[in-house]
Amino acid sequence: MLNKNVAPVYLDYAATTPVDPQVAEAMSGYLTVGGIFANPSSMHAAGRQSAAAVETAREQLAGLLNVSPHELIWTSGATESVNLGILGAARYRSDRGKHLITMPTEHKAVTDTFQALEREGFDVTYLMPDRNGLLALDEFEAAIRHETQLVSVMHVNNETGVIQDIRRIGECCRERDILLHVDAAQSVGKLPTDLSVLPVDLLSLTAHKLYGPKGIGALYMADRPACHVLPLFHGGGQERRLRPGTLAVHQIVGLGAAAALAKSRQVEDLIHLQGLEARLWSGIGNIPGILRNGSETESFPGILSVSIEGIEGESLMLALEPLCVGSGSACNSRNRESSAVLRALGHDDALVQSAIRFSFGRGTTNDEIDLAIDCYADAIKHLRAISPQHARTA
Amino acid sequence: MTTVVLTNPYSELVKRYFANPVHAGQLPDEYNNAVAGEAADSATGARVILYAVMDRDIIRMLRHQVFGCPHLIAAAEAFCDKAEGQPASALLELDLPGLMDELAIPVEKTGKVFILEDAAKALHIMLTGTTQSED
Repeated sequence: MLNKNVAPVYLDYAATTPVDPQVAEAMSGYLTVGGIFANPSSMHAAGRQSAAAVETAREQLAGLLNVSPHELIWTSGATESVNLGILGAARYRSDRGKHLITMPTEHKAVTDTFQALEREGFDVTYLMPDRNGLLALDEFEAAIRHETQLVSVMHVNNETGVIQDIRRIGECCRERDILLHVDAAQSVGKLPTDLSVLPVDLLSLTAHKLYGPKGIGALYMADRPACHVLPLFHGGGQERRLRPGTLAVHQIVGLGAAAALAKSRQVEDLIHLQGLEARLWSGIGNIPGILRNGSETESFPGILSVSIEGIEGESLMLALEPLCVGSGSACNSRNRESSAVLRALGHDDALVQSAIRFSFGRGTTNDEIDLAIDCYADAIKHLRAISPQHARTA
Repeated sequence: MTTVVLTNPYSELVKRYFANPVHAGQLPDEYNNAVAGEAADSATGARVILYAVMDRDIIRMLRHQVFGCPHLIAAAEAFCDKAEGQPASALLELDLPGLMDELAIPVEKTGKVFILEDAAKALHIMLTGTTQSED
């Protein structure tokens, strides 16, 4: 019998992180009367105070990425950044060519955006990863054409934690004057991302994956020739007319504070995550039939995705309560689609359905990992005892 | 990768049966006269095996093994609980709508519960050689 008398344990930091108390404290001064709430586009003194706060936050984020502040455009989050970066750049450079390259293992924000471009007449090549989830550079180079204008590859995969070799991919692009867009929603603030040396032209990020608020993100657009986007929205002069609309000062302040905090804690946070991941994998890695999804070496330690043979995914999710984890099970998803990322790794439907994504953060403790190990082992034992697939052999 | 829906898709009864399925598993080896009936859905991989030990026409023990979702596991457990101690004809009298209503199984899971019904029919055939109730 499963024990359910335990408080929920949050191990879904790849979905979202809590707002850090320091970030919330910083934001609280930018909402109400007595604080700095004015429209930053206003010319009066209060407006100028808001505008200064916006620029301070821009400098904080620029400091995290090691870029110039004017290369950052505020958006509502990573999805909008991805849309602005990919749609905007592809349309801007469409007179040069209409061939684009990405991978089916990208976030839906990226793949759906490329599908939208296909409906506009662009030609998109989707490069499959190898069984470890990695892009093969020789296949990438072979896919490049004279008319290729834009490539989009994510830094850290949101489902598996696999890290792509952005530097090598970017070098290939730079040699051919192709723009590289990187979805860095899972990596900014967690892995070193020095854009002064990485050959990246466009990079999308969001605050809520790095202990900032939901509803705010940014697009990095390198200040270099031919790197530009056409706006998606119209109606104001904000953000160099590339993303018009009244700026959400409190949200922007939150992203700036989160970026500054991430910069100061990056090494400490990464060591913490490495310890948690190693502890979890050492606790469950020897369960018969378990499989780690994606590369074990080229992997972000904040995410551990596993599948297991002979276990039904929806039942596994219920058996895992009180753990709050990500699932590959179609029955538990809102859109009822199974994971395209795991299918691209060559998994059959059963393995995809049994996938569980554990993701950790600053607040995760060793005790929580130990509880997760016990919950996972108990759940597998429970379901195998019920299942005809494991009759008397389990 | 997806995150679990906010509304709880499982009733308390489903969760209770799922967490503690006392009729789950095969029958002990001493019941070598046990009879089994099986059904599966190749599209989803869901599978149900029912095992019965009879005492004349009465189902003395009924056990299940299920590979499937929590609703199917709970339905199998509830069915075994009800059918044990009943005549073999009870295997053909599964009240599917009533069971789904009792467990608050969503209508989109109806197909899963049909697998249980098919397994019960298969077991009845193995026990009696007929798909018809003898009552």
